[in-house]
Amino acid sequence: MEHAVPSNVDLEELRDRISWLIRLRWWAILGVLVTIWVGRRMFGVELQRSPLFLIAGILAAYNLVFWVIGKWVPRATRGPAVSYFANLQIVLDLIALTALLHFAGGIENPFICYYVFHIVIASILLSRVATYLQVTFAMALLVTMVTLEAVGAIPHYHLRGFLDETLYRSSVYVFGGLFAIGTMLYFTAFMATSITSRLRRREAEIVHLSTALREHAEDLSRAYDALRQLEGARSDYLHRVAHHIRSPLATLERMLAVVSEGRTGRLPDRSKEMLDRARTRVRDVLDLARDLLVLSRTREALPLAERKIVDLAALVRDVASEFRHQASSAAVSLAVSCPDRAVQVVGDPDSLTELLENLASNAIKYTPAGGDVRISLETRRHQTELCVSDSGIGIPPGEEERIFDEFYRATNAQESGKDGTGLGLSIVKAIVETHGGEISVESELGEGTSFRILLPSSDHRRP
Amino acid sequence: MAETGAKKVLVIEDDPDAVDTLKIVLEDEGYSVSSARSAEEGLKRVHADRPDVILLDIMMPSGTEGFHFVWQLRKDEDEKCRNIPIIVLTAIHDKTWVKFYPDKSDPVYQSDEYLPVQGFLDKPASSQQIVGEIEKVLSGQGTPFRGEKRSEA
Repeated sequence: MEHAVPSNVDLEELRDRISWLIRLRWWAILGVLVTIWVGRRMFGVELQRSPLFLIAGILAAYNLVFWVIGKWVPRATRGPAVSYFANLQIVLDLIALTALLHFAGGIENPFICYYVFHIVIASILLSRVATYLQVTFAMALLVTMVTLEAVGAIPHYHLRGFLDETLYRSSVYVFGGLFAIGTMLYFTAFMATSITSRLRRREAEIVHLSTALREHAEDLSRAYDALRQLEGARSDYLHRVAHHIRSPLATLERMLAVVSEGRTGRLPDRSKEMLDRARTRVRDVLDLARDLLVLSRTREALPLAERKIVDLAALVRDVASEFRHQASSAAVSLAVSCPDRAVQVVGDPDSLTELLENLASNAIKYTPAGGDVRISLETRRHQTELCVSDSGIGIPPGEEERIFDEFYRATNAQESGKDGTGLGLSIVKAIVETHGGEISVESELGEGTSFRILLPSSDHRRP
Repeated sequence: MAETGAKKVLVIEDDPDAVDTLKIVLEDEGYSVSSARSAEEGLKRVHADRPDVILLDIMMPSGTEGFHFVWQLRKDEDEKCRNIPIIVLTAIHDKTWVKFYPDKSDPVYQSDEYLPVQGFLDKPASSQQIVGEIEKVLSGQGTPFRGEKRSEA
């Protein structure tokens, strides 16, 4: 017997539907009263008012009892009890309908088809088997009532002014009518219970899915926490490695500096020169170690870590003013073109600053005196475009792809005598990618280079 | 060699070469220098010497010792000691975006404040940078990190 004992979810649902039925019954009682009144007043049909009002009164009385039961019975009532409650209501309703029909013409009354409502309600509230049992009970009541009237065992209350008086005794009409109604009710039960059971299966699926979804979300949240801790631990490790490499190198540089600056005694020029060259080499390695740390950290940064809303326009202006001095020392003009209002993207402000600083620094470094560097920021519909262009030495043809590779320096850059770790553009590319953007480069050897970065704009509603 | 009027600098750093190098530069520039090799020793020297400024290596061996020292000092009973400005020496602050809030399991950890220090020096800092930062902090223009809350976003 499927759904014989309803599950917890079904139980909630069953209770709700029973409340709905009780509310519906009030309207049905009103309907009965209106029908009686309309029948008599408007159509002049003679009716047995007293018995009909009495039955309506009984209906109202037991509906009130049901309503009270619904309010006062504890929520913890078990499944079977609630099922019996539903069955009982329908049984009583069927009896009430049969009684009403008996006092209002029996088989003459067109409202005989109203049994179908109870069958549909039964298929919504009850199990399949229970529904068919209710249909059988309804037919038993109806057949008994009609047959007993036809043979004269109980009185027939003819509806005067409506149909012919002999109809209720006509066996053809009686059999025909009962057969039609009986088949209608069974088929209705069949169709309605099929639909309901499919509905119930769907509902069970939905509940199952939403439970699975919630569990999945919890798993995801736990996994993310674990990942963050891991990232924290690895990040710690990277920092400690960086510290252990850089700290002694830094001390080394300082020791050389202290001697070179003459603080430990007078130093011959050649000695000072050698020491300074040594210091430069040490600083190169320090830069390399720092860049490797930055690159590692950027590459492996979780997309969701440290995400904030960043105003790119303000950032561009800040970096530009940071490089004014360097640009003027190199006799290179630095122009900035960006909107006055804020340009928002989602990301890590420190990384974005690093990105701009790298590009600006490169642009100035590789542009000869008298040249110009331009930083521009533009918003498109769903993207923000950042360009850093210069009129510098450019990139040799065929090397544009490779400049983003680690430790790769373009041949003309190497020959320029300026130093670089070869990691700057790798870092830039890694930062762009972490922010969900794209970077491309255009260049003419000897004319200049232009880097173009596209970043997705922030969605203000979901930072 | 206490010159009268010379500002006193306490260097807390576990690398003896770094200590010696700093000492050479600072004494050359007119400061009086004392040193300690650990946070524990550092606290003792603070109480003994009452320096005007502290140069602290933040990553002394374990990585948390430096932080621990800062929080301890800021809760010191002696008011003068409590308010001595601290300049943090670090090899990995510049461009590596290390934010200085320490391990949460440290009992002295203040969860919602930045490290209450007044200056940062990235190693290797030039002699000018070191002197510049010390003078800036001593003249009261150091970063007022004390009590600055951070948002746990």
